[in-house]
Amino acid sequence: MKTDDSKAVITGAGINFSFGQGELRKQILFDVELAIQPGEIVLLTGPSGSGKTTLLTLIAGLRKLQEGRLDVLGHSLHNASQTDLLKLRRKIGFIFQAHNLLPYLTALQNVQVMFDLQPGVTIKEGRERATRILQQVGLGERMNYHVSRLSGGQKQRVAIARALVGRPELVLADEPTAALDGTSGREVVNLLQSLAREQKRPILMVTHDVRVLDIADRIIEMQDGHLTASSRGSSSAENHPAKGVQNESDIAAVTF
Amino acid sequence: MSQGIPLSWLQLKHEKMKLFAAVAGVMVSVVLMWMQLGLMKALFASAVVFHGSMNGELVIVHSQYEHLLHSKVFSSRLLYRLRGSPDVSDVFSIYLSPGEWKNPWNGEMRSIQCYGIETDNASLKLPGIERHLQQLRNTDVFLYDRMARPRFGDVVGAVERREPVELELNRRRMSLAGVVDLGASFGVDGNVLVSHANFLRLFSERKSGEIDVGVVKLVPGISVVSAQQQFQKVLGKEVQVLTVDQFKELELIYWRSATPIGIIFTAGTVVGFFIGFIVVYQILYTDVTNHLPQYATMKAMGFSDGYLYQLVLGQSVQLATMGFIPGSLIAAAMYAGLRKVTQLPLYMEPMRGVFLIFATILMCTFSGMLAVRKLRSADPADVF
Repeated sequence: MKTDDSKAVITGAGINFSFGQGELRKQILFDVELAIQPGEIVLLTGPSGSGKTTLLTLIAGLRKLQEGRLDVLGHSLHNASQTDLLKLRRKIGFIFQAHNLLPYLTALQNVQVMFDLQPGVTIKEGRERATRILQQVGLGERMNYHVSRLSGGQKQRVAIARALVGRPELVLADEPTAALDGTSGREVVNLLQSLAREQKRPILMVTHDVRVLDIADRIIEMQDGHLTASSRGSSSAENHPAKGVQNESDIAAVTF
Repeated sequence: MSQGIPLSWLQLKHEKMKLFAAVAGVMVSVVLMWMQLGLMKALFASAVVFHGSMNGELVIVHSQYEHLLHSKVFSSRLLYRLRGSPDVSDVFSIYLSPGEWKNPWNGEMRSIQCYGIETDNASLKLPGIERHLQQLRNTDVFLYDRMARPRFGDVVGAVERREPVELELNRRRMSLAGVVDLGASFGVDGNVLVSHANFLRLFSERKSGEIDVGVVKLVPGISVVSAQQQFQKVLGKEVQVLTVDQFKELELIYWRSATPIGIIFTAGTVVGFFIGFIVVYQILYTDVTNHLPQYATMKAMGFSDGYLYQLVLGQSVQLATMGFIPGSLIAAAMYAGLRKVTQLPLYMEPMRGVFLIFATILMCTFSGMLAVRKLRSADPADVF
């Protein structure tokens, strides 16, 4: 189960993936190879339909690996069992495009419920840790609000707290800023970056949003199922301005 | 659910209208089941009130006797043979026949069950009957069943107002000597007790000494079963010697088999069960369907299928509890009302309550388990 390169969080090689059968078969990923090191913040960009999200779901153990080798957090995903995939997913913090919070719970409950996955954590400890991380994302005053009473940006901040509260070994984020306006999106990404740096958690984030590219250590670009380019990001800047890049959804033309 | 957050309850109460509808569905189902089972039990209980009041351990009826409304007479001389036995402390004979009662207030004719009983000793264990036995020896008097249906007229009211009651029974002028409690049943609307002599006056076609029921009171300490076997041998095949329980059972067998009452009420109970089942299933199913994205998210984050099943099944058990309690209260009120109107012995019996708690939980769990299958279609890969 242990990978050869035990240092890397994710290593993959020769990954091919298709949807459908027979004539309707459509290949999405072609011979993808990637490696993500501990503590690295990696952005995965590319136009719609380029296969970014499919790659993300494979790494998350949400889809069955068809061809190639993929090791995530020490789990080999080739022919992995459902139980094994569930164990892997519990080590990952997820952030979704929409916040995907449970609407019938308060902000605090949404975060604290994650400890139901860690039976060793007592109720008291669970509540304390959930409270602390909500304070860190700036929602200390609104912890007991039902999520329906929070703004979009606040909801996504709760989602970040939920993803990180269990001290995951890897954070996977899918377009976390897509549903937010520029300012809130910026805040959310900065928050994610600083928390991840603090906890030394690697992040793999799929995004179209050119405004947030500056948080990355590394940017991987995808096109038509191929990894086309990998470049160093401008990670040193903690509060890097958005560089005045316009909000364009299609950044295929942007090269690094 | 180790963090103590009651997810199933919080999810249930999040949508108040849906919660209300589900609880109402369970309530209706619970009321229906209480009513059906209660009425069935009451019918059967009311059919054997007379049988249960026998002042003895053994009952003798004709071998072709089927039930109270289908009796066959035998000679009381057979009973005298038992008088000599050292095991027997007393023997009673009872005549029975339906009679024609003319309502003294509106002149309507009604069929009423008439019993001719001995007046020297109480052959029936009915509260307060002893003080009436003396009066019953007078010519053309009768005891009336306080729990008879109101269609016979307001006899009880007249007694309370201390008015004399006179009326025609089988076209014979009779006067009321008192009231006792026997009770109406599905087959009999009311009862009248008279002495042997008055019975024979009312039913001139009946012959003295040709009785319907013999009651044997044994000396205390005698084995009922061995006495029964011994008497059956002595009396021969013309009659059957029964214990009181067998006498009741014979009556119940008739009501169970010859009438569809058992089937109807059992079917009613099953219908009640299915109403609850379908309502809860519908609500949980749409609930699971509406929340599929949430469940898919939870699955993606690492929550197991078992955790989510528990979440949905927890809701079904909560619905069961919330529907059972008010449903039972409504049933109790309806029991009380019906008891008053029909004189049927309808009571909230604890054993039936325990049975219904289990039935309700089973009903909700079943529907929960069926609805939970929908969870499999929550594909965590869809959340991205």
